[in-house]
Amino acid sequence: MRRYLQRTWQPERWLWAVGTALRPLLLSLLPALVFAQGAEPSSEQLEKTRQAHAECFACHSPEGFKAPPKEGLDLGKLRGLLQHPDVFGQSDHRRLACTKCHNEGYDEHPHAADARDMTSTCTDCHSKKAKVIEPQFEKSVHAQNLAGTFTCTTCHDPHLMRLAERQSDASRIVAQDNRVCLGCHDSDERFAQFAPEKKLRPPLDDIHAWLPNTRLHWRSVRCVDCHTPEVAAGEMISHEIVGGEGAQRDCVACHSTSSTLKTRLYRHLVKEEQQRLGFANSVLLANAYIPGATRHTLLDTLVLGAFAAMLLGLIAHGIGRFLTRSKRAKDGRKPPVLREAGDDTNGENHG
Amino acid sequence: MAEREYLVVPWIRIWHWTNAALIITLGVTGMSIHFADPALPLVDFALAVRIHNTAGVLLIGTYLFFVVANIVTGNWWQFVPKPPGILQRIVKQVLWYSIGVFRGEPHPHEPSKEEHFNALQAVTYWGVMYLLLPVILLSGLIYLYPEFAPETLFGFDGLLPVALVHYLSAVAILLFLLSHIYLGTTGKTVGQLFKMMITGWHEH
Repeated sequence: MRRYLQRTWQPERWLWAVGTALRPLLLSLLPALVFAQGAEPSSEQLEKTRQAHAECFACHSPEGFKAPPKEGLDLGKLRGLLQHPDVFGQSDHRRLACTKCHNEGYDEHPHAADARDMTSTCTDCHSKKAKVIEPQFEKSVHAQNLAGTFTCTTCHDPHLMRLAERQSDASRIVAQDNRVCLGCHDSDERFAQFAPEKKLRPPLDDIHAWLPNTRLHWRSVRCVDCHTPEVAAGEMISHEIVGGEGAQRDCVACHSTSSTLKTRLYRHLVKEEQQRLGFANSVLLANAYIPGATRHTLLDTLVLGAFAAMLLGLIAHGIGRFLTRSKRAKDGRKPPVLREAGDDTNGENHG
Repeated sequence: MAEREYLVVPWIRIWHWTNAALIITLGVTGMSIHFADPALPLVDFALAVRIHNTAGVLLIGTYLFFVVANIVTGNWWQFVPKPPGILQRIVKQVLWYSIGVFRGEPHPHEPSKEEHFNALQAVTYWGVMYLLLPVILLSGLIYLYPEFAPETLFGFDGLLPVALVHYLSAVAILLFLLSHIYLGTTGKTVGQLFKMMITGWHEH
């Protein structure tokens, strides 16, 4: 028995076996661990990325375009391939070297002729999300009407986008996301690039004429908050963009204390909800006063109490008047008789 | 025989009932908006907003008419409680509503051409028409054009104080409305004062 134990009890071997089994899992978690908030890259890494960016921005930025570092560049082509370093510096992909996605064939200049075809796609990194998004997108009005022309980057420019959950200000999320929709739907020129022939862009104000304070809504809430179907609580907003037909038209869906905005635009911010100063959905209130949704529940209770007290008081007063008048009528039109001390009979018995 | 006196001229009566209709409309639609809830359908939200906005703008119009007509005709003087003994007359009126009315005592104040309102009425109507109405109309106007509201205030949307002022002044006006309608029944008969506001004739 002792011998057997000596032979089998080899902790380092067990640990090695467990480590080997967990290796694929650990590797798959690695990017998440690297980019997770708090896991800041070292200054050397940052410097390396900055240098990699600078190399590309030397040409592919407005400054680079103005003063190209090389003779004989095709400036006409370059003009359409510029990025703003400061905008890219705010995006979620800012810590990735350009060559992470623009990989094969971009190391040298001139770039390889087929380099563009080898650029990574979104699903190369975001495969897990893509599994959820793709079936939703397939049902969307864009996939249905414009099959083949729409990709992730048609809407999500990887050089600009920031995830909603990384932003603390709802108005910035709204501005970013609505800029994407309005980019085409508020521009005849860009709409025509995608729309089938002869399909004219419907004027946004006209088709939303039913919506009071239309432009105010567009500043306070995302197009997709109405133009996507409901998803389960805690889920990412659906990529099934619906047209006017299937869109949310029930104002009370947002304008109520149980506002659906909590699971949509404010999904990430709502975790901070603390009913500040007694306001329902006070996290919404930081960005917009939303009638129906951002009520002060205690104040409302007091107000309803005041109305109830007023009504009850008036009804009681009315009943009192009715009863005393009936009594006076019963007593007849006799002049009031002054009662004498000790007289315990009431007027009714005399009447 | 009851003596009749023509007290309320047509413009006041027309203004009064237009004002009443608008305020009731605004009250009902305002409640539908403020207490919006899928489980409590009053007036459909989008419809309520449209009606509320339209009625609000109309109320601004009727209010301006009221102010101008009051100045031109001198009717504004009716809203000013006249000394001496304003406070005593107010107390007397309150006592009549709380005690005298149950004893069948006569009204402490008899409306006349010179003095339509008793002291309590004059003070209350003055407060409603010259304090509450401007506040609710102005806050409503900012609500209608929110770009004039402050951007933010103490970490909240700047529309919040405007909305609160609008809401609380609405509550005050609607509480007044309830008591106003009820006290309208305290004439010599239940219908006497309502009749006067329709025909203009007061029966002494």
